[in-house]
Amino acid sequence: MEFDLENPLENLHSDDVSYLFLIESDHTPSQNHSQTLKARDLDISVRRELISLISQLSCALDPVLSYLAINYLDRFLTNQGILQPKPWALRLVAVSCISLTVKMMGTEYPATDIQALLNQSDGGIIFETQTIQRMEALILGALQWRMRSITPFSFVAFFIALMGLKESPMGQVLKNRASEIIFKSQREIRLWGFKPSIIAASALLCASHELFPFQYPFFLKAISDSSYVNKEIVEQCYKVIQDIAIEEEYSSALNGVSRSDTPINVLDHHFLSSESEKTNGITVANATDSPLGDLKRRKITGCGGNNPTILNSWIQPCERECEK
Amino acid sequence: MEKTGAGVVVLSAKEAFEKLEKVGEGTYGKVYRAREKATGKIVALKKTRLHEDQDGVPPTTLREVSILRMLSRDPHVVSLMDVKQGQNKEGKTVLYLVFEYMDTDLKKFIRSFDQPGQNIPPETIKSLMYQLCKGIAFCHGHGILHRDLKPHNLLMDRKTMMLKIADLGLARAFTVPIKKYTHEILTLWYRAPEVLLGATHYSMAVDIWSVGCIFAELVTRRALFPGDSELQQLLHIFRLLGTPNEEVWPGVSKLKDWHEYPQWNSQSLSTAVPGLEELGLDLLSQMLEYEPSKRISAKKAMEHAYFDDLDKRNL
Repeated sequence: MEFDLENPLENLHSDDVSYLFLIESDHTPSQNHSQTLKARDLDISVRRELISLISQLSCALDPVLSYLAINYLDRFLTNQGILQPKPWALRLVAVSCISLTVKMMGTEYPATDIQALLNQSDGGIIFETQTIQRMEALILGALQWRMRSITPFSFVAFFIALMGLKESPMGQVLKNRASEIIFKSQREIRLWGFKPSIIAASALLCASHELFPFQYPFFLKAISDSSYVNKEIVEQCYKVIQDIAIEEEYSSALNGVSRSDTPINVLDHHFLSSESEKTNGITVANATDSPLGDLKRRKITGCGGNNPTILNSWIQPCERECEK
Repeated sequence: MEKTGAGVVVLSAKEAFEKLEKVGEGTYGKVYRAREKATGKIVALKKTRLHEDQDGVPPTTLREVSILRMLSRDPHVVSLMDVKQGQNKEGKTVLYLVFEYMDTDLKKFIRSFDQPGQNIPPETIKSLMYQLCKGIAFCHGHGILHRDLKPHNLLMDRKTMMLKIADLGLARAFTVPIKKYTHEILTLWYRAPEVLLGATHYSMAVDIWSVGCIFAELVTRRALFPGDSELQQLLHIFRLLGTPNEEVWPGVSKLKDWHEYPQWNSQSLSTAVPGLEELGLDLLSQMLEYEPSKRISAKKAMEHAYFDDLDKRNL
């Protein structure tokens, strides 16, 4: 049976998720390594490079493919690490993760197309199939043949049902936006410590806050009341995801990238949500100064490392606020 | 011994395990009792040749082995603890599946009651059947069929009387040259009639039929339908349950391998399974329904009144 990110076990009874919660940690980059990794900039830059490579190589295929391939990569890195990486070795890992992903997804691409794609390279490096197979075996061993990854996508439907939105248009909109958030947040290493179910819950809350702010408190309660999630951890994860979404916002704006890749209805709702956010923002500013100030400082810190221009654009509003 | 770039030592299967004895030739390869050198733990090693092409590990193997790895925490499925990939003397890729070791299987257990008049105690039958239904309910609840259920694939711990399902999903993980094994190993005795009649779409009901056959065998210590060819297998079934027709099984005459068969009337199940209580006969009859969609589900079977007086706390 082909692998489906939303149903890693071909779950025919969607209410029976307890087993997925039980075993999801087997399919997650380990928290300990995330701590260790922060002390090793080399690995962080290696990961960034590999993700970029995987996205390049698999962009012609299903975008879900790159998500699974990056999941394999992350689990491989936390298990093995890569010391003194050579460019060809990095490329081989990326190619092998994609090859395994193609096999798991059961994609209907001709083998020759896959092979040609996998061997495409700037540096003219072409891997023999035997070489890829040996790396595949290494990755399989490191991942202990747990290739039916449990990802945040495995839990989205469960939480939407919990929010009372099963099979409703509103639920579909939330699911689409949450899925988009999950896709984009995969690049963020700060999420490594969180279980897939926590990421799913946080992404849905982020989407609901963005699209349906007035219903947000009810959704938050519905998810917090679940015995499967730890409320405090969801709050932590929510903050990280919110930061990522904000950074994504500025990155898109600066690059003039429109959200043409998202469904139009999502775009409309997002626009409406932005309007109401502005109103809410003003209200909050009037009510209290200190929390908003903290929020701004955190944003500046988060953005500063990535793009000085964003930093500049934040200084002005801050100064105006201080002058009042 | 392989060394990765990170300096992590990865032991090959031959280095990690000491083979103690060959304990069988399973459907998909040789089975050894072995000791893991690092821990001293006794395991069952299943050695399987990969029918790889130039693309390395076949996708079906990858997908199905991954399922087994995911199911390894359920108490009613034999745990696939590890997978080792290696090469044999000819340089061909072999896969070692490392399973938890169980000291016997249901086939051996049934045969151990070999004295005339010596039957398996009814409460033992009930406990084993409940565990079997529970394990199958777990698999079906996650959309996974076994498709090769038989006493040999149901492993037991003789001391605790715990039963676990083995070889789950291996029917699809490893393609086997079908002619070589059909007669000797791929036994027909537990095969559902729709499969024998060439149905191409399998449903969870095929496993329930097998469970029913195993149920009867636990009571009588003999196979219920011991056919030695597909035709003989069907005739065995029809002699007891009556030759099916469109009335009792809508659509049966349109199945690919349907022919004209001798017409038998159905016999009472109690004649074939003497000694089984009335409630057990009722459950058995629901497992052996001709029409797959009418066959009882594993989950519903667990709720059947036959199990009411069973102490389920440790099962």
